[in-house]
Amino acid sequence: MKRKTIEWIMGILLLACSLCLSVGVKLWFHACGPKEDGSFMTCHWAQQAVLVIGCAMTVISLLALILQNGGMRRGLALAAAPCGIGAALIPNTMIKLCMMTDMHCHAVMKPAVIIAGIAAAVIGVIYAAVCKND
Amino acid sequence: MKSLALKNLRGRPVRTAVLMVLAALLSFTALGGTLTVTSLGKGLDSLEARLGADVMVVPKEATMKKKFEDIVLQGSTGYFYMDSKRAEQVMECEGVGEVSPQFFLASTGSSCCSIPVQIIGFDPDTDFTVSPWIKRTYGGELELYDIVVGSDLNAFVGDKLSFYGVECRVAAKLEKTGTSYDTTVFTNEETIRALIKSSLDKGMNDFQDIDPETSVSCLMINAADGTSPEELVNDINIHVQKVKAFKSGDMISGIAGSLSGVSKMIRMLIAAVWVLGMVILLLAFTMSVNERKKEFAVLRVMGASRGKLAGLVLKEALVCCLGGSLIGAAAGLLVLLPFNGVIEEMLGLPFLLPDGASIAGYAAAAVILAVISGAAAAAVSAWRVSRIDTGLILRGDN
Repeated sequence: MKRKTIEWIMGILLLACSLCLSVGVKLWFHACGPKEDGSFMTCHWAQQAVLVIGCAMTVISLLALILQNGGMRRGLALAAAPCGIGAALIPNTMIKLCMMTDMHCHAVMKPAVIIAGIAAAVIGVIYAAVCKND
Repeated sequence: MKSLALKNLRGRPVRTAVLMVLAALLSFTALGGTLTVTSLGKGLDSLEARLGADVMVVPKEATMKKKFEDIVLQGSTGYFYMDSKRAEQVMECEGVGEVSPQFFLASTGSSCCSIPVQIIGFDPDTDFTVSPWIKRTYGGELELYDIVVGSDLNAFVGDKLSFYGVECRVAAKLEKTGTSYDTTVFTNEETIRALIKSSLDKGMNDFQDIDPETSVSCLMINAADGTSPEELVNDINIHVQKVKAFKSGDMISGIAGSLSGVSKMIRMLIAAVWVLGMVILLLAFTMSVNERKKEFAVLRVMGASRGKLAGLVLKEALVCCLGGSLIGAAAGLLVLLPFNGVIEEMLGLPFLLPDGASIAGYAAAAVILAVISGAAAAAVSAWRVSRIDTGLILRGDN
């Protein structure tokens, strides 16, 4: 397979992982809903933190896809790696989730964010490794 | 010739990818299905072990409750009480061996989340059901306001949890059981009475005319030697009014029935996917060999033996199936391990994953099974390749 094609595939995969973190955390693997009194549990703030990191990663991966300069693409891809690890560390490690681990935030949001975050970090490193200096 | 199989696979990336996806599907289904069925079985065993008593006696009115079985068997939130006089009458029945009362209380949403927690109180002096289970993780005595939390509660030893304004210390965390008991809080009789009192003082619970100080929720009983649980259940139900005795085994028969139904469905699904996958693999290899007849004929003319050609087809199949089944097994583990909580919730049945070594064993078995199936499907094509008539094919008369 041509290096260009591999680069393109890696870029798309990184964008997909970033979108999983930004859009996915809001739509599919969101945190628990508000309490009866309307207040939020701590997992909601973990979701918001992941959303912010996910949005930043989406911009980074879009730029990595658009930019022509190989060095810049490599730098952007590398920048996505610590962001992915940061996102994976948020649920329950950096921000405590709900009390019961069978709740939605533990059962769905946490594993999904950890998988998407680690996948983004790994893909970011591979993307940087295959990027050619133009 | 040695690297020809790999070169062939690289040369036809689409065909290779399709074969790998099929192998991945086979190992994913085998591993996912087997792990689910095993986890359901382990969950039921764990629930049986958790019940730990021959007979359970509850107030008769509790059996009218919609969630009665869930409260008793699955640790769902809810409570019911009976006067301790009724409990004493039960204890006087013939054939009663060990007996211990339990107290149920549902917390309101605690500070961290809106979901209530079931609190079960037991008498450490007489208990024979919860204590052995707690002793696996905690050897000490539970003091006043000490609690033991289920494995699914996000609280750890030394943490403070507040129920009805009473601050309790987490003394131990239990091992996972795969049932709703994993989200239950256990404590001693003194603490639960203090919590019940606090809930009444705050007007958060209404026990109507029942005095919590002289009430129990249920009695866990072991039949005395020489008495069968059936006899004991009948004796209690006949002689003591306003209570209902159950044989523990009968109580979980409903869950066992659902579990058997789900397991049967999963096994049928695995079988269907395997039959379908095998047929598709067989067709794929046959079509691939048919379309490559000339290539094999040329190899034969160049001096490759019939065995070498058959080996080439088998090697291609093995490489494809090994790669695909490894991907399938990895995908299966990636879905089942982190998302087992969602699966448990969807099935609504006790679900306890086996230990790491067993999971690794199941994954290896799924990979080996998928590779063997792929090789078996390719064996037919390999046999056909070894019997091709080179002259006929090269003349284009086949």
